[in-house]
Amino acid sequence: MTESRSSHVSPPIVPQTREEIDERRMELMVGYLLLAGVILSQISLLLGLILDYVEHGTIRLAYLIKGMNYFQFLTRDILALGGPHVWGARTFVNLGIALLMFTPFIRVVASVFFFALEERNIKYTIFTFFVAAVLTYSLFLR
Amino acid sequence: MSLVHSPFLMFLVSIVAGFIGAMSGMGGGIVLIPALTLVGIGIKHAIAISIVSVIATSSGAASAYVRDGVTNLKVGMFLEMFTIVGAIVGAAVTIAAGNKVLFIAFGLVLLFSWGTLFVRKHSDTHYNRPADRISTWLEHHGSYYDHAVGETITYQGRRSYIGGPCMFGAGFIAGLLGIGAGALKVLILDLAMGLPPKVSTTTSNLIIGVTALAGTSVYIAAGYVDPGLAAPVILGVVPGALLGTRLLRRLTNRAIRNFFLVVLLLLGIEMLLRGFGFFGG
Repeated sequence: MTESRSSHVSPPIVPQTREEIDERRMELMVGYLLLAGVILSQISLLLGLILDYVEHGTIRLAYLIKGMNYFQFLTRDILALGGPHVWGARTFVNLGIALLMFTPFIRVVASVFFFALEERNIKYTIFTFFVAAVLTYSLFLR
Repeated sequence: MSLVHSPFLMFLVSIVAGFIGAMSGMGGGIVLIPALTLVGIGIKHAIAISIVSVIATSSGAASAYVRDGVTNLKVGMFLEMFTIVGAIVGAAVTIAAGNKVLFIAFGLVLLFSWGTLFVRKHSDTHYNRPADRISTWLEHHGSYYDHAVGETITYQGRRSYIGGPCMFGAGFIAGLLGIGAGALKVLILDLAMGLPPKVSTTTSNLIIGVTALAGTSVYIAAGYVDPGLAAPVILGVVPGALLGTRLLRRLTNRAIRNFFLVVLLLLGIEMLLRGFGFFGG
């Protein structure tokens, strides 16, 4: 990131054509999705580490996700909710990582729908669908 | 649990890595991985942790760039098709590879990225050259408002058919070494596709997040992600990078930047030496 944004003021380009308006709406959607994902994930990870510290007086989370794919990893702890010691540090840490991984994924899936339904751009619907499909496949790897 | 794997230490190391990565323009991962291996984490685990954190730094920065309207979403989404496949292949190769090879590959890529910091990007306004048919068909054009010059810059991307396959290579390196490979992506967008520097850096940033996710999935499936270690790293890298980017804008003192550049050069050499069997690999 050698280039820095020189200002926080939003660009004074007033979208006029249909394409420009679509583009601007898409930029805002993608931008806020990414921002929300990162913030939620950071909060969840921080909560997890704080809980661990409160519980044990130190942070000693250390475990591996082994032989499991992303969805199994995500649902394992959440399904076990209600049992003792579950809704604790580990759940928040797992949730934080899951939210982080979901962030770019949701961005791509939302783009597929945007290109298909809003912009009605067949080329880019196919391109983003391909990306979403490969990502989904990779998330199910085990 | 040894002190070496203390989450507090991980957290501190990650803040510094995120900071230096952002300030130098090299990205967090390229500093983070040597730092993690120095505090005793195996290189494959360091790579796996790093690539998860790359999702965070990339998405955080991209969210601001995209809302500013500089990022070219269509260029980004077209090139993502190539980088994600590259990243999955790269991550699979790392899992099968020997540690020493990874140290050497990492050292080489670090030194290469370091070198590109000194390459003068072309800065003229020649971004309106006539496009080829493929780039036109792909709608690889755009405009953005440049606050520095106070005018709207319109540009036309070219040679998207070269950019795509090159991006497979960039994705491969990203997945292989757990980094964003931003320097390489910017080079492709700039030299092959002729995009303005601001568009290149911000669009590269958008692509990095999705690419890192593809790689992360492979490392998670292979059991290389330790969430207990990844959590403090992610929590450290993001504020570190934010701080580095803020400071980058204001910093006029070349001496500080040069100091970090020397640190990065030493890290690259150190990785190479470890790969060749010095320091006990």
